[in-house]
Amino acid sequence: MIPRTRRASMAIWAAREVQRHAARSMLLFACLVSLVFLIATALLFSQALDATWAHLLDQAPDLVVRRIDGGGWVPIPADEAVAYATGVPGVLDPTPRLWGVMPGPDGPVTVVASIAVVPEGVLNEMKPPTAGQAVVGQGVARTLSDSRLILGSRNPLTVDVIDVFPADTDLATHDLVWITPEDARHLLELAPGQASDLAVHLFRREEEQAIQADLAAAFPWPVRISDRTDSALRHRTRATRLGGIAVVAGIPALLSLLLIITGTVLENNGQRAHWGLLKSLGWTTADIVRLQVNRAMIVGIPAVMLGLTSAYAAVFYPPTAGVIAFWITGGQHLAALTLTRGGAAIIMLEIAALVGLPFLAAVFLTSVRTAARAPWTMLQADPWN
Amino acid sequence: MELNAGLACRRLDFRWPGRHTDEPFVLESVEAIFPPGTVSLVTGDTGSGKSTLLHLLAGLLSPTAGEVWADGLPVSRWPSRHRDPWRRQVGIVFQHLALMPDLSVAENLLLPMIPRQIAWSRMQEEILRQLADADLSALAGAPTSALSGGQRQRLAIARALVARPRFILADEPTAFQDDHHARQIRAQLCHNAREGAVVVICSHDPRLRASDEIDRRYHLASATLTENPAERESS
Repeated sequence: MIPRTRRASMAIWAAREVQRHAARSMLLFACLVSLVFLIATALLFSQALDATWAHLLDQAPDLVVRRIDGGGWVPIPADEAVAYATGVPGVLDPTPRLWGVMPGPDGPVTVVASIAVVPEGVLNEMKPPTAGQAVVGQGVARTLSDSRLILGSRNPLTVDVIDVFPADTDLATHDLVWITPEDARHLLELAPGQASDLAVHLFRREEEQAIQADLAAAFPWPVRISDRTDSALRHRTRATRLGGIAVVAGIPALLSLLLIITGTVLENNGQRAHWGLLKSLGWTTADIVRLQVNRAMIVGIPAVMLGLTSAYAAVFYPPTAGVIAFWITGGQHLAALTLTRGGAAIIMLEIAALVGLPFLAAVFLTSVRTAARAPWTMLQADPWN
Repeated sequence: MELNAGLACRRLDFRWPGRHTDEPFVLESVEAIFPPGTVSLVTGDTGSGKSTLLHLLAGLLSPTAGEVWADGLPVSRWPSRHRDPWRRQVGIVFQHLALMPDLSVAENLLLPMIPRQIAWSRMQEEILRQLADADLSALAGAPTSALSGGQRQRLAIARALVARPRFILADEPTAFQDDHHARQIRAQLCHNAREGAVVVICSHDPRLRASDEIDRRYHLASATLTENPAERESS
């Protein structure tokens, strides 16, 4: 156990050493901040994308049944479909949905007649649209010059935009236009009693794979059933790929930063004469190593914290998040992301493992290696002779 | 031979490592005792091995053969992990001074105190006392590089004494001093010896050789250390 007096003296002297080599310390600090920022941004982005999708998928139906024929998707008869699905054991609350992709003023938009992906608390605070009205996502709202929105080309519909979905639901609502079922049918050219697909919730969520065969057999027409696992896997793969691409893109920068850090750490070899003097003045190898580790922590801990804070702001603070999303996805718009507490802890551990530990290990090992030499040999190095 | 107190060399040989075995010893069969409470002076020509002897006594070098004992302990036989902490009992003045030029005078004095378990207030007290003894109080905040040769040497001596070491080893401590400061340094070293420290000085400064405050005199020549009572008598 090191006495508190000695620990305090050592920490104070380590701070003096940092100030004594101010330029080198600043360079090291800047490199560590950049290194942490680059790695943490990629990791946080990937993690947050994953968490946000998981959060949104949690509110999505367990299974979605689409009717198909030789030409692809066809409308599903709503009441019949509900009756067929209800007959399958384990199926709860089959709900016909009205939705489709329509040309908007600036590219395709997704038209829906009901909102299942937005949390109920958020929906309760919004006024639902009536005939001729719409609530739109952030991506659609940005393209409007006034409150009027023209949808469709063959059978156009003009609606008044009365509200915009909140930014934190943007991942699911970005290109969404919420209108009344009547307006949706008109736009999608669906006859009364027809729906786009059927959303199904299950009594036991883990049966989503097993129940698909029974459900498909219950309908008299061919259907395609997709489940939450498919979507989750797809989005998770996307998130991982995006993170991977960002890391790969940053490899040259990481390598150059690592080189600078290695150089700064290896500077310990140039300290031989000074460390020899310290040993002749009563410092032990452990004291010298402790001093160097303290010094590394004085520079390293704030650098890691600043790097993480900057990365957090870059991913989650809207003005900068857009720039980062542009960098990582190559221009694709992304929503305001959320980070789970577990996700944040994982990122902290990953950064500690990727940057902090190798840095401290390098400082520790080079210090031990140099400081363990015989003091007289160390004193023979410059500048004394 | 009495090995229980102070510093003692027992059949001490030293030859620079890695050189040919037929090269002459720097030190050969050195037998000496430097008791506590005394000031010992080692004289000898330049290159005779005085500095090497001091480095061996300080545990900075390991002898080729023989032993250095400190207060009854064979410190030269110890591995570095034991010898390093023991060195906290040593205060050494190097011939080349070995000061940190970019640090202030006070900071140079702080260096030996940091690894010792000393409270900040006591560190300050000791530093101020040493600065006063070395006539450097006015220069406490000045960078070492701004000092004259004599001032730097006094700072090196102050640094060796600041942690009140048990063993004080000084290599040419008065080389750059005028008579007044040479007397002052001699008095300082003698004062420490009277308080129980072991003081060993290597020098060929005639002012030290002539001093009657020196208790033991040795002469180093041809790798052999001999006690030189004749000079003591003549002084």
